[in-house]
Amino acid sequence: MRRWGSWWKASWNWRRREEEEIDKELRAHLELEAEELEESGLAASEAGYAARRAFGNTTLVKEDVRAISPWTWVESFFQDVRYGLRQLRKSPGFTTVAVLTLALGIGANTAIFTLIHAILLKPLPVAHPEELYNLGDDQECCSISGDQDSFTLFSYALYKEVREHTPEYSEIAAVRSHPLTLSVRRSGDQGLAQPFLAQFVSGNYFTLFGVGACAGRVLVPADEAPGAATVAVLCYRAWRTRFGGDASIVGGTLIVDRQPVTVVGIAPPSFIGETLRSDPADIWFPLASEPTLMRINSHLNNPDNFWLYAIGRLRPGISPGQVEAHLKAEIKQWLAARPDMSEYTPDELEKMKLTLTSASGGIMKLQVDYAEALEFLLVVSAFVLLIACANIANLLLARSTANRMQIAVRAALGASRTRLVRQVVTEGLLLALLGGAAGVVLAFVGTRAILLLAFRGAEFIPIEASPSMPVLLFALGVSMLTGVIFSIVPAWMSSHARPVESLRGAGRSITEGSTLPQKALLVLQATLSLVLLVGAGLATESFRRLENQKFGFETQGRLMVQVEPDLAGYAPARIVALYGALQERLAQIPGVLSASLSKYSPMEGSNWGERISIAGQPGKQDWADTRSSSLNSVSAHYFETIGTRLVRGRFIDERDTPASQRVAVVNEGFVRKYFPPGDALGQHFGIGDKSHANDYEIVGIVEDAKYIDARSPAYVMAFLPLVQAWEDNANIFHDIQLLVAGSARNLQAEIQRTLASVDPNLTVIRTISFEEQVRRNFNEDRLVARLTALYGMLALILACVGLYGVAAYTVARRTSEIGIRIALGAPRGSIVRMMLRVAVAPVTLGLVIGLPLALAGGRAIASGLYGVKSYDPVVLGTAVLVLGVSSVVAAVIPARRAASIDPSGALRAE
Amino acid sequence: MGRVEILQGTLDMLILRTLLFGATHGHAIAKHIQRTSDEVLQVEHGSLYPALHRLERKGWIASKWEKAKDRNREFKYYRLTAAGRKQLAAQESKWKQIAGAIARVMSRA
Repeated sequence: MRRWGSWWKASWNWRRREEEEIDKELRAHLELEAEELEESGLAASEAGYAARRAFGNTTLVKEDVRAISPWTWVESFFQDVRYGLRQLRKSPGFTTVAVLTLALGIGANTAIFTLIHAILLKPLPVAHPEELYNLGDDQECCSISGDQDSFTLFSYALYKEVREHTPEYSEIAAVRSHPLTLSVRRSGDQGLAQPFLAQFVSGNYFTLFGVGACAGRVLVPADEAPGAATVAVLCYRAWRTRFGGDASIVGGTLIVDRQPVTVVGIAPPSFIGETLRSDPADIWFPLASEPTLMRINSHLNNPDNFWLYAIGRLRPGISPGQVEAHLKAEIKQWLAARPDMSEYTPDELEKMKLTLTSASGGIMKLQVDYAEALEFLLVVSAFVLLIACANIANLLLARSTANRMQIAVRAALGASRTRLVRQVVTEGLLLALLGGAAGVVLAFVGTRAILLLAFRGAEFIPIEASPSMPVLLFALGVSMLTGVIFSIVPAWMSSHARPVESLRGAGRSITEGSTLPQKALLVLQATLSLVLLVGAGLATESFRRLENQKFGFETQGRLMVQVEPDLAGYAPARIVALYGALQERLAQIPGVLSASLSKYSPMEGSNWGERISIAGQPGKQDWADTRSSSLNSVSAHYFETIGTRLVRGRFIDERDTPASQRVAVVNEGFVRKYFPPGDALGQHFGIGDKSHANDYEIVGIVEDAKYIDARSPAYVMAFLPLVQAWEDNANIFHDIQLLVAGSARNLQAEIQRTLASVDPNLTVIRTISFEEQVRRNFNEDRLVARLTALYGMLALILACVGLYGVAAYTVARRTSEIGIRIALGAPRGSIVRMMLRVAVAPVTLGLVIGLPLALAGGRAIASGLYGVKSYDPVVLGTAVLVLGVSSVVAAVIPARRAASIDPSGALRAE
Repeated sequence: MGRVEILQGTLDMLILRTLLFGATHGHAIAKHIQRTSDEVLQVEHGSLYPALHRLERKGWIASKWEKAKDRNREFKYYRLTAAGRKQLAAQESKWKQIAGAIARVMSRA
């Protein structure tokens, strides 16, 4: 307010100077005239008067001159603002409805933009993010051997080769493709170890980003040297939350999976790593410590294991296109020189792709995951805003028609058309800004809710819901645009106000009903609402089918416990004994009906795939022709516990021991793909080449179950007994499944105690219901479904409010006409029908226009739908029905009021 | 012959025309119009000033405060700009067209 005041004063001073100048000019004129008259012989007393007479009305002249100054424009602007505010205060009902409507529309858009800005537009908080380029463009995760669709994952040896021989990059760092959980506790601390999300990075990782330490030091290239001490850098948030911000942790020792690690520093608060993701890394280790910490699961020293992302800083002036060809040749040459060409065929090597992608926003994981959903939601929220605009335009229109007399009088009194239009637009902008301010508040609350919806199950989301400067500017821009858009029609109406109307007399009894622009706006609203409702229906139906599909397992009453088992160095016999004890003790927990162990569980995001050979089936030596299957290793009672049904043969059970015949249970897909009908039981297969073809005997067939991708058919899959599967450390369990009585009770503490009592090296990462584990796979679909449904509802409500407003207004305008009709004997029913037509006609037209648009919109999103066609007749029919019924309901109240008009009262009111 | 009020819209043209002879102040412009029209055209002095300010806003004339040579007083001197010169030519030709047309209509009587 203060600043406003001083600005006002400055402009006021300027204005006064201008005024003084006009005075001076006119005074000079009058004095000169008087002097001349005196010289021509007039008496001095008479000359002054004569000069004034010749001049005319001085005050009027000053007024006229002043009106030419630009400051008059500013002054009239403030007059308009004051007038507008007065108008808004005068009709609090209208103002409240309009501001609320706008707040919903602008808030919906601002909330989505907050996410778009945070996820898609904001660069990493590091030095010169625009110079960063990722070597590769795929989001392939984990570790891989052999052909990659598009080269993205590097082995450590290949990374070092590329780092040394690509001068176009000033620096290239490497990082494990995803963080993993390790159990961490402070040395000397007797409490339970805590799961930490750990990330292995190259020594130059922090240097690449230009990130220094907040305390201690960051990792340096020397930390990557073989034989270097095992060190770690803590993330700021983990330091605050896990260690209470205790500064003495720097230089202290942590016990990570039974290995001592020295903490050398803490990263700055803003740094969350190279990838924007929910639950980013808590702790960073140099790659050199990977063999020490990962032991049997280490990838570092296997040149043919591809598990690292490479991200680098291009030298200034070098385009990524220039480097791509060079890099590709370099990588191909390296692969070709490997024995067995790193499992590449010459053909695959020839076709190998490599694309550099900008990493200014980090490795584009979240971006790729959410870009489509966010863009779709932005379109949806823009629709809501348009409907809100149409609503306000209609309200303003109704008001300006009611004020037509007043406007006509003003025009008759000489107000210019531009001034009248400016008045309307100023009022519109005022409304829009009020609505925008309320919308920003709404968006803040909304964004927090959306984040929780979008990242269900995440413990930490590195995205701020509070509006940043770009978000505020966006909201301001949208508000201004909105204000101009919904003011256009009313402004046009008042610019055509005819002064003569004011003379035609007030209160003409027969006036036309709603105007053409009003009807057009209703049609627009109905059209947009239908498109939105169909979109919402499709998204909701698709999500419902996705979540309630037949997965091939039961989620009801199941608990999933993820474990970080630190069993390195355990002899096979000890592992078998441990599993036996564990299963027995878990089954003894009160309420637990059945317990099993496995390498991984369905829909937790894991998959283990291998090439296999089948006994008696000749396979070519060529890798491209070999068979493959997803595999899992499971304990006895696994299938019963997760509710996967047996089709033929038997489940894996207690008979399967390390000493007995190695057996396998396969799913129906496996049988369909590799055996003629009825011929699978008793057959043999193995992991790897033909020499292993007799390793496992198929003893059972289970129904297909989805393990990783809920949208595609279940993978071909084979299950091995946990105690028999030595390949790839598949005998180490990571998951516990529990079937519990009644609803899944909170057994977390009990489970933790049981695990600790069996072996202290078992750290529980998380315990969740199976249902929740499955649901977390559909966060994006849920977000889109819930938000489009919410926005669809908003659109419907806004459209109905608009319809109600116009219908009510029409009744009010035509009161005396209806009175006459009733007096002349029109039945009440025909009056209701007449008034309903006012609302139903534009909605029907809207439906006719909207239906093809909705079909086109459905086609545009068809690729994202699951189990529902874009032209689903039920969805389309429901949307039409809902819109039709709601519009009738909205119009019925005013229509009934019309029918109950008392004719004598209506006519007396004339 | 009596005095005639200046037709609406022609005042601008007369002012521009007057300034063609050089920069001068409002009083002198009024006097000049009166004098050159043989006292037929009567300019109400006051109406001159809104016109001057309007022309200045449009950029056809420019102004400057200067001391008059013969009097010990400051006046606001107006002068024609290049845009004003163009505007004058356009208005003049339009005026001639209209005047000629009216004259032709009247002479047919």
